[in-house]
Amino acid sequence: MEALKNAFDFSDQPRLDLAIAGTIGMLLLIFPLLPLSAFALATMIQFFIFSLYGMGWNTIGGYGGQVDLGKAQYVGIGAYTTAVLLIRWDIPFWFSMPIGVVLAVTWSFIIGYPLFRLKGHYFAIATIATSLVLKDLFEVWDFVGAARGLEISPIKYAPPDFLRLIFKEDIYYYYVLFVFFLVGLLFLNWFRKSRLGYQLRAIKDNEDVARSLGINVHWAKIKTYAIATAYVSVVGSFHACYIKAIEPEDTMSLDISILIALMAMLGGAGSLWGPIIGAGILIPLKSYLKEWLGGVAGIAGMDLILYAVIIMVISAKEPRGVWGIVERIRRRKRT
Amino acid sequence: MALLEVNNLVKDFGGLRANDGISFQLEPGELLGLIGPNGAGKTTLFNCIAGKHPVTSGKIVFDGEDITALRAPEVARRGLARTFQVYAASGDLTVRENVMVGCFMRTASRRKAGAKADTILADLNLMAAADQHVSELPVAAQKKVTMATALGTQPKLLLLDEVAAGLNPGEIEEIMASIRHIHHQLGVTVILIEHVMELVMRTSDRLIVLDYGRKIAEGLPDEIARDPQVIKAYLGDRYVKEHGGEVG
Repeated sequence: MEALKNAFDFSDQPRLDLAIAGTIGMLLLIFPLLPLSAFALATMIQFFIFSLYGMGWNTIGGYGGQVDLGKAQYVGIGAYTTAVLLIRWDIPFWFSMPIGVVLAVTWSFIIGYPLFRLKGHYFAIATIATSLVLKDLFEVWDFVGAARGLEISPIKYAPPDFLRLIFKEDIYYYYVLFVFFLVGLLFLNWFRKSRLGYQLRAIKDNEDVARSLGINVHWAKIKTYAIATAYVSVVGSFHACYIKAIEPEDTMSLDISILIALMAMLGGAGSLWGPIIGAGILIPLKSYLKEWLGGVAGIAGMDLILYAVIIMVISAKEPRGVWGIVERIRRRKRT
Repeated sequence: MALLEVNNLVKDFGGLRANDGISFQLEPGELLGLIGPNGAGKTTLFNCIAGKHPVTSGKIVFDGEDITALRAPEVARRGLARTFQVYAASGDLTVRENVMVGCFMRTASRRKAGAKADTILADLNLMAAADQHVSELPVAAQKKVTMATALGTQPKLLLLDEVAAGLNPGEIEEIMASIRHIHHQLGVTVILIEHVMELVMRTSDRLIVLDYGRKIAEGLPDEIARDPQVIKAYLGDRYVKEHGGEVG
């Protein structure tokens, strides 16, 4: 009960922030009803998807300070579980999604146990490695379509199919995802104020001190990693129904892992609004940059260069991202 | 029954013997001072007792239980808390949040942890700084926050590692008042590592002196101040002259 109350309790946030968040929330609610292009709607869906990935990453990467660059493997596990179960046995989304979470979390325990014996850069590199290995396995595994991937044929179902999450129009996906987005935000709000959230922030500061306060550092990290994994896996499952064609390259590649981490880092790792701000800046930028530059030969990889520049600027100037800048200005005003 | 019993404790780092057969007992309610020159093995002793370092040999019994092989979090859960000598305090957490992390060891409820943290902050006169980030506070207040955080775990025994180092006389008085409060009002047994002699001599019931990893003396503060071995190894002639002690 107390946990539920804490999830809805935003009273520690400044009023101005809540007003802004509320306004943006209202805008998001009516967004699909505005006379905007299909491209804009698709971009907003990507914004929700990456906000949620970023929120998940933020638990272990932001509050816990464990730079995880292997989140894409859990996108893959979620997406493949849902696709395989639907295609082979006609098991709908709402059942396959939790199964995907169970599989992803189980996998996260198996690799999390040795991974969290590593620290700093070694941890980051190891997460990349595990994700790449899994992707390579999927590329040669015939049961899941190997490198060709899997395709969910929408003709077999009669959209709108709410059980299988098969829709023709993006507006349905938009609202389903909007609900996920709100639930994800509430969960993150609970997490940051939970015992585990506090313990993780203490671990980020100083592991020896954390241990002296009775915290099992290794186990706290593994638990949080599992929470991050659950976020990513749920959205991965959604991704499969939304895109309807998945392959290892576009679910589990390193680009996606980096982009997930980048959302949270740009917006502000270890803050409630950070991942949303990050996705709100990066996703439209990425979409429209691709749209504008896509036609021009030779500069198709422009967006990747942009990410690299952003990473460099953040780590040099403000490791706490956009939210770090906001907080710094506020603190200066107070004093 | 003794609250803490250390028997023939040995700790080697490679070829270096940092603790060489240290034994002592601590009664509940005592305030024990641990002194000695730099490198004498005081912090190592704390680290061994608190489970940060595995011991090479020897035995540590806390509250009737053999805790020699336990790791730091398990030792903490049995009621043995500590502070760290060098602790770059959190930039991320506020004072109250820091203390709450300690309180969360005994409860999963945020409300209860918050209430307990507020009690401790009030006890140590830190309430005014509760919502500030620790890094914004003066060093003396930061040291008090580390003590408050350790108290959050509701310990029976608290190990304080040089909480007065680097403070001015006024701040030392403040820290002493806090330590006395923890000891007398809250009834926590305390072991204190300290170089600020005035503080140790005035607050401790009993002292143990380490030198080169060995216990060279143990006794009441007055006796220790007159002990020729201690004067030679640590206090020095100047201290004795200034404080009017007589060299036996």
